[in-house]
Amino acid sequence: MALLDALPSPRMSWRQWRPNSVLVVLLSVLLVAVWLFDVVSVSPNRIVSGQGAGLVEAVGWLGALLVSGVILTLVLLSLQPSRQNYQVALVGVCLLLLLMPFGLMVASDRLVSSDAPPARLNMGMAYWLMLSLLFLCWIELRLRLTLPRRWTVLMLLGVAIVWWLCAMWALEALALGQEFRARDDEFWRALRQHISLVSVAVAISIGLGLSLAMLMRRYANFQKVAFGVLNFLQTIPSIALFGLMLGPLAWLAAQWPLLSQLGVSGIGWAPALLALVAYSLLPMVRNTYIALEQVSPETLEAARGMGMRNSQRFWQVRLPLALPVLIEGIRITSVQAIGLTAVAALIGAGGLGAFIFQGLGQAAMDMVLLGALPILILALIADAGLGALSDILRPKNTVPPGEAQ
Amino acid sequence: MSHNALGRSLTARGANPVMWPAIWLVLLMVCVWGFPYADGVLRVIEPDARQVVYQRASLASLLVQHLLVVSAAAVITTASGVLAAIVVTREWGRNFLPLVAQVASLGQTFPPVAVLALAVPALGFGTLPIIVALVLYGALPIVRNTLGGIQGVDKEVKSASAAMGMTGWQTLCQVELPLAAPVILAGIRTSITINISTAAIGATVGASNLGDPIIAGIVNGNMAYIIQGALTIALLALTVDSLFERLQERLRSRFYTS
Repeated sequence: MALLDALPSPRMSWRQWRPNSVLVVLLSVLLVAVWLFDVVSVSPNRIVSGQGAGLVEAVGWLGALLVSGVILTLVLLSLQPSRQNYQVALVGVCLLLLLMPFGLMVASDRLVSSDAPPARLNMGMAYWLMLSLLFLCWIELRLRLTLPRRWTVLMLLGVAIVWWLCAMWALEALALGQEFRARDDEFWRALRQHISLVSVAVAISIGLGLSLAMLMRRYANFQKVAFGVLNFLQTIPSIALFGLMLGPLAWLAAQWPLLSQLGVSGIGWAPALLALVAYSLLPMVRNTYIALEQVSPETLEAARGMGMRNSQRFWQVRLPLALPVLIEGIRITSVQAIGLTAVAALIGAGGLGAFIFQGLGQAAMDMVLLGALPILILALIADAGLGALSDILRPKNTVPPGEAQ
Repeated sequence: MSHNALGRSLTARGANPVMWPAIWLVLLMVCVWGFPYADGVLRVIEPDARQVVYQRASLASLLVQHLLVVSAAAVITTASGVLAAIVVTREWGRNFLPLVAQVASLGQTFPPVAVLALAVPALGFGTLPIIVALVLYGALPIVRNTLGGIQGVDKEVKSASAAMGMTGWQTLCQVELPLAAPVILAGIRTSITINISTAAIGATVGASNLGDPIIAGIVNGNMAYIIQGALTIALLALTVDSLFERLQERLRSRFYTS
């Protein structure tokens, strides 16, 4: 028994009332922010920075009162936390998230005159704050209610679909949408490039990582050297590695015309892919190695006792048991590769990073957003999806060793 | 335990670890002061270029600026990250623990480039937005590791310190933080490695640092510029990283041999 249990409890008995201070703080900040900062801004064209508009100006007194009312109700709910109140609060947070694009519609109706087509509506400071604070509230509620992951994913998906529909059909004036419509072919091409670059790099590193990990398990010396080299590669800043790949590849392509016919050159996808694989190998190999090592010797012994051959033991016992940790490695690798591919746009590999760097070059912030937001979303999707897959594949360790299945 | 041994072999570089920081540092210095005189060598790489030595700013001043930005960010992130983790592990701040832990691990899925790009619309071009972005992003691994380190301290040890009559503050300073130090240091190392790399990308948003020669080289198609920037920045990263490795070794040996 822990010694602390014998000590007098630090919790005082008169303090029964325990509000959820996290939600109260988050929502109070939100309430102050929506009244204090600009919710939206309207700019006459793409480059000129916009004229800000507060909450009342944007959605009228009725809208402002509605928003504040919902937030205040949420504050009241979090003062008296109970499971039921949390559920109601979760519905409230989702409601606010769903109302946000409609707020934009109202704002564009009120502020953007229809006879000035290049005028565009930007989301302001308060809008972004509201989005992130509501997201934080949502995470907090999810943690308090201990909801299963698929429920929460479904809910977010629903909100995302409503946002998407609103952005597609009803929000002509929104700057981000205008930027998208001006180059939607380019956008889809960049997205495809981004995804294919990431998936090819991850696929190569899975193959290479698996073979390297197997070699390491056989030769202890090789393990030391290989981890040393991979660590070394991981330490080198991405922009430097991408830069250093340019020279050798340009030289190779100049030496062997066959290579340049295949599309290999100093600039473009080839150096990007090489660098991406170099970066992906460390997390991949490390997790594969740990995954294969952590399978318990008893299980393998049992498999041998059942008369399994070596190859059978590997494919039917070791690999399936190692799979969750292995997929964890793929998750880390993919998330990292999605971010690094953005940097690869600097050396002409295309992808969504191209929008970021073009936008920064032209000081067109909507274009930067057009690149950065999808990258963020891709990373989150890869993280959630592969995390869920790894959860599903994890064997339920509920059966005690004595009871055979 | 086996995990720890594995971790140690993962960081082993083969050679005597004492030497590596010195080796990288010497190479870094050779790069910084040698490149301006290496016209002949760089000419081999880029024979047709009008100019092969990067002259818009000296590599030494770029290195200093890079280090300034990264260390300013590192000081702020370390202070705020450790502080935040301490606050949410105290009795009165425990309400915030689940949210902070979740955000610290979720936030690390955000690509640093995207964070940097999103900081520009909000804060504008220049050095300041980069420092802010570095601080925001770099705090996450530190918070996460500090949380892990403090939560990893054995309950029995904390009970013992309470039984010895230590106050909460004494327990924190004399028991929890020293025991969590290796994990916290690992977090700081991750944070700084990411920040050195991200700061270089910051050269595209108007900060002048070691990313400059690389960007200039890519824009002008001048391989020699790229090599000067890339080698210097890679050596900087390796120097700092190997220094941290030395520090970690020292902490570890202090704990496990005494």
